[in-house]
Amino acid sequence: MIRLYGKVEQSVMDEKILQEAVEEQGPKEEAGQISKEEGISFNAVLQLRLEYKNILKIEHLWEFTSLTKLQLNNNLIQKIEGLANLTNIKWLDLSFNNIEKIEGLETLTKLEDLTFYNNKISCIENMDTLNNLTFFAIGNNCLGQLDNVIYLRRFKNLHTLNLAGNPLAQEANYKLFIAAYLSDLAYLDSRLLNGETKKQAFAKYQYAIEEIRHNELQTLKATEAEQKRQEELQQHQEAFVENLNGSELFDSMFAQDPEAQKLNQLPGVADLVQTFKPQLVGLCIQMFESGFAEQKLREAEVKAFLEVLQEAVREKQQRSAQLVSDFEKHRKKRILDLKQVEDAAKEEAQVNQYMTEIKTLCDSCLLLELQLVDQLEEIIKDFERNITDMVGSFIETVQGIFAQCRDLENHLHEEIKDIAMATLEKVAKNEVEDNLPDDVRALFVDKETVMNAVGASHDSHMLRIDNREDKLVTRINAWMMNLIKKIQDEEVWRNRKCISEIQYFIQHLRNQLEEVLHQE
Amino acid sequence: METLLELEEKEDEGGGIEQKELSPQELLDGEKAVNINITSPGDTPFGRTKPVNLSECPSAYHHNSPQEKQLLVIADNFSSQYSHIFPSRKPLFLCPLNECGVKSPVCLIQKFVSTTLRSTMLPYSGLYDWDNCASFVADHLVLQALDPPIEPPRRLISPTLLLETQTGTCFDVSTLLCSLLLGAGYDAYCVTGYAVREMCLLDQSRQECPLLVGEVEVQVEGTSAEDERQVRKYAVKPPRELRSNFERAQQELKEQEARAELLRRQQEAQRLQEELERSPPDPLQGQMLHCWVLVLAGKREIRDHFFIDPLTGKGYALGDESFLGVEALWNQHNYWVNMQDCGRGCSDMEYNLGDTTMWESVLFRITEKEEEEELEEEEVWSEEPKPFEMPRSWVDTIALSKQDLERRWPGGSRSTQYRKAKLEQFTPYLLPDGLVTRLTTYTDLECEEVDVVREWYQNRLDHLEERELQRATNVTIERFSPGCKLKLKTHSYVSLAPGTERRMDFHSGACPDGLLRRVETPGQMEETFDHRDDLLYSRHVFYARSPEGGSQEPGGRPLERVVERFHRDAAKAAREDVAERVFLFAEGSIEVTFHLEDDRIIPVRRSFVKPRVLPDGQRAESWRPGMVTGYQGDPHEDPPKNVYLYEMLTALMDEEEKVALQIKHSETEVREILATREREESNPELRISIYDTARNEKVQRYREDMIRAQEESQKQVKKEIDLLAPFLARLGDPEVLSSQQAQKVLEDCLANQRMRMIEQDQILQARYDKETQALQHEQKRYQINQLNMSKEEEERYHAYCSETVFKIGVIKQRQSRHKEITPQKHLALKEKLIRDPRLAPHL
Repeated sequence: MIRLYGKVEQSVMDEKILQEAVEEQGPKEEAGQISKEEGISFNAVLQLRLEYKNILKIEHLWEFTSLTKLQLNNNLIQKIEGLANLTNIKWLDLSFNNIEKIEGLETLTKLEDLTFYNNKISCIENMDTLNNLTFFAIGNNCLGQLDNVIYLRRFKNLHTLNLAGNPLAQEANYKLFIAAYLSDLAYLDSRLLNGETKKQAFAKYQYAIEEIRHNELQTLKATEAEQKRQEELQQHQEAFVENLNGSELFDSMFAQDPEAQKLNQLPGVADLVQTFKPQLVGLCIQMFESGFAEQKLREAEVKAFLEVLQEAVREKQQRSAQLVSDFEKHRKKRILDLKQVEDAAKEEAQVNQYMTEIKTLCDSCLLLELQLVDQLEEIIKDFERNITDMVGSFIETVQGIFAQCRDLENHLHEEIKDIAMATLEKVAKNEVEDNLPDDVRALFVDKETVMNAVGASHDSHMLRIDNREDKLVTRINAWMMNLIKKIQDEEVWRNRKCISEIQYFIQHLRNQLEEVLHQE
Repeated sequence: METLLELEEKEDEGGGIEQKELSPQELLDGEKAVNINITSPGDTPFGRTKPVNLSECPSAYHHNSPQEKQLLVIADNFSSQYSHIFPSRKPLFLCPLNECGVKSPVCLIQKFVSTTLRSTMLPYSGLYDWDNCASFVADHLVLQALDPPIEPPRRLISPTLLLETQTGTCFDVSTLLCSLLLGAGYDAYCVTGYAVREMCLLDQSRQECPLLVGEVEVQVEGTSAEDERQVRKYAVKPPRELRSNFERAQQELKEQEARAELLRRQQEAQRLQEELERSPPDPLQGQMLHCWVLVLAGKREIRDHFFIDPLTGKGYALGDESFLGVEALWNQHNYWVNMQDCGRGCSDMEYNLGDTTMWESVLFRITEKEEEEELEEEEVWSEEPKPFEMPRSWVDTIALSKQDLERRWPGGSRSTQYRKAKLEQFTPYLLPDGLVTRLTTYTDLECEEVDVVREWYQNRLDHLEERELQRATNVTIERFSPGCKLKLKTHSYVSLAPGTERRMDFHSGACPDGLLRRVETPGQMEETFDHRDDLLYSRHVFYARSPEGGSQEPGGRPLERVVERFHRDAAKAAREDVAERVFLFAEGSIEVTFHLEDDRIIPVRRSFVKPRVLPDGQRAESWRPGMVTGYQGDPHEDPPKNVYLYEMLTALMDEEEKVALQIKHSETEVREILATREREESNPELRISIYDTARNEKVQRYREDMIRAQEESQKQVKKEIDLLAPFLARLGDPEVLSSQQAQKVLEDCLANQRMRMIEQDQILQARYDKETQALQHEQKRYQINQLNMSKEEEERYHAYCSETVFKIGVIKQRQSRHKEITPQKHLALKEKLIRDPRLAPHL
């Protein structure tokens, strides 16, 4: 009645509406009855239809996490909201509503089919994450800018598009423009885009398209290069020798050292530093290479260990499974026998025998598990010892190389000190060249200042080396501890799970037996 | 006589034996002497399968050229000297008789062995390699054993005759093989010498059948490739065994003893067996004469020298024990006598034929290596007489028809006896069922107890390739090649009746339902599948025992239970992926076992009791949760919803119906296959390639039709137009012409022709007139305007004149010809009309 007068009764999406919809659209007949008795949980519902309900606001949908199809068409919805939890959704219908802006779809990455037909949307936007989109209908909206369609180029799987009824569809070159920019599109406004149209379109917009393609290719290449660099760094970090395959350590030593820059101005120092650099870089690269070689060894070690571990577990699992399946074969017969026996004494005997059998099964399964635990404990210990040795020897090597770095630095320091002393004397005798900058000259007021500057520079360099060394050693130790802990934890977890499984099964068998006896 | 001189010198050194040159007269005497021997009653003509007209042979077969005669003199001289120096050695096989002259002993022809070799390359690629060539020769000919076995034959027949008769001694066969090998480019020689009895008599009954030997080797290869285990750094210790070491030691001791005992017994049995199999001692050991082929390395990429036994076509290493000694060898150029000791077989022999201490040649001939050196010196020694060259072969070109090549065996089949086996071979298309090979193996040495009969087929329309019948179990195994209409790969059965035990293997991917194998045993049927979308790999059907001793109709057998097993589907969670489902038809329940999760040992199980169904299809009871029992697996997980279980049960019940249908379908399929097999077997058809024009009747018929059609179309073109048709039409096409009518038609026809001739004449005349008028007109014009004409116009006039004159000449010619022809044509037409069947009776 109200509709007739142009007023619409707005309804709220509450639990009742949802419950009704779910029950109405759920299983039918006998299954429906059963499910009604039991109650339907929202998180198991796969499809939901909520059309012609005059809904104003999307609410209370957070519980429907496994939903794949949602129809909310022919309502009064104004804003897309409350859908963030429906991550499994593939089909979303929001046609015939009052939506003005596309939003709130960021988490729905599995979405393939999206319909906004007959809304008030004026811009295609905020859909960057919907990579699987194949069908997109946004006809009868307020889209005015033809260039806005270029946004859809990012959807590689898109093959059907509906734009009819928008202002932009009135434009003369509408069809060719879209055919040109969305060259993989198969259907536009429910019509096939044939090869000829595409050819025409391409001829018309050739330059623009090629430019766009070129730009896209460039971006793609840049992202790929960045990714590759990241992967490489990741690899280096896994070997704990990141940034050691070049002059990075050297750069960090000298970059943040104002004193060094000043001292560099002294005659002879620059040459010294120049000879120092390749030596230090050489040591770094040596470390880098040994780090990689060691990482390979460690990986092989871990792999060999895990293989054996998994094989042992699998073997034991197979044996236990065999035991269980053998038992299962007889179980049915036993139960049948028990049901048929009438004599109490005989029944007692049979029950006892069955109980013993269960006990035996339990014991043998547990025995296998115990054996495995012993075996694994041993090889885990072996592995621990080996990996510790490997890490230890690597740390030793690295420390040796770092010691060489320090020696180099000490040597440099001594030489610089000598030059500084010589310069100081020259300054004292006023024999120094004029091209020395003032701030450097200011160092040479007395011996203490000079020595302080030289010492500070040296200390800062030493600190850098020490830091790098500490970082490496700490990280590798942490990695080792984590690895060992993980392996141990996993083993404990596996063991507990296995034992609980056996217990549960035995319990299950006993319950079953009791049930049988109870029935009689 | 260079050779002779050399030989003489040598012999002088050897023992100073008196030398004696034979005169041609004496030679002739010798020939006569031989003649007498040959006509002796002991000599039987060779076992000829086809009558051969010897008189048709070329003259070279009947006569000796002067060169050949000279060669015979040389050979005879050599032979007599040889027998003089080596009286203990057997006479040389140098100049046997050829096949000609059996009927007229007066002109018996001796031929030197080397000239009997006719190097020929046959135009078949299948005979290019030595092994194929040798096995063909061995297959194609029948051996005539030497009689007596220690003497060389008196006669060596030509390869051409041998190919016709297909019967010959080992010498004949070797000559043919050697000729073919020489033609194919091998450095081949005929060898005469001594071999073991089995080889001389082609007795292979102590050898393993080559078909069986191959199989054993394959099996050995299969087992050897297994032992490969990488050494690992980590290894779990085996759990400690709680057993007494002493007891174990005792046990081992006992086992060792038992093993030793077993081994001893086996050895004993083996020894006995060997003794039993050993051939009886040969009184003629080392004296039995044989002839075979030697191939020297160097040509056709042959690396080592080897022998070929022409009777079996097999290659042997030089040191093979079967060859006991070499007397001599020859090729088409020369003859070499062995000077080496063969006391210990042929293993230590050298085959450097240029070395005169080892090989004495009949003709002086430089070997190829020396030839090059000689070339340089030739100019200096040019005055020396040229050494005697071996004359060219007297034998005609060896020819072999394609049919003979295809037929291979004499008469198209051969049967060979091997140790505990008999091999029968047939030419393809010889037998109506396509059988090409049958191998019968026996359990005992006397070949009485048949063990296995294996038959190989070719070109069968039903793609049957091999059939194996095991006598002990009476099981037949048939193997089919891909493309078989029934998709069968192998089929093993006792009888073709349905419902009996059988096993069918299908070609992978051939059946649309992925069926790979179907095994039937009494009361059971197991099907194995492959590459199915639903990942089903096995379906095992157990039939219920029928109450009255088995019903006759197998389609009606009630099912007891069906077990279906599935592979793991990676897309599903393990606890929801069905591993096995058992439909218990008899009990009315369904059991489902799911796949094991990664580190669990007990799979999730569900067992459903089906709600009872009334006969009219209505459910007798509604579903209760108690109808499902099972093991849940994870104690922490919520039990499944009842709807879920109910839906699963409904789906399973649908599946159950489908499975029952499937089984019915399988049963019908089996029956159909068996019926088809029976039909195919009772009336085997052979597949004939459309390119095989000789056998393919359809193609032949088609070709004949084509030719006929072509001829007919040509005939039709030639057929003349009915001349009388328009005149008969004028009379209203009467069926039978009256005399008057006939007369009229004839006259009309002739008149018509006359008219046409006159017309033609008139046309020609008109053209003539027109041209002459035009010419005259032009001439007049020229005469009038001659003075004020330009040069161009004048030229044009002249050109026109000459052209017109030419035209007029042509027209004149045609007119005269027309006049000449007209009466002839008239006569011809008249003749033709008179002969016309419609007019003839009235004229």
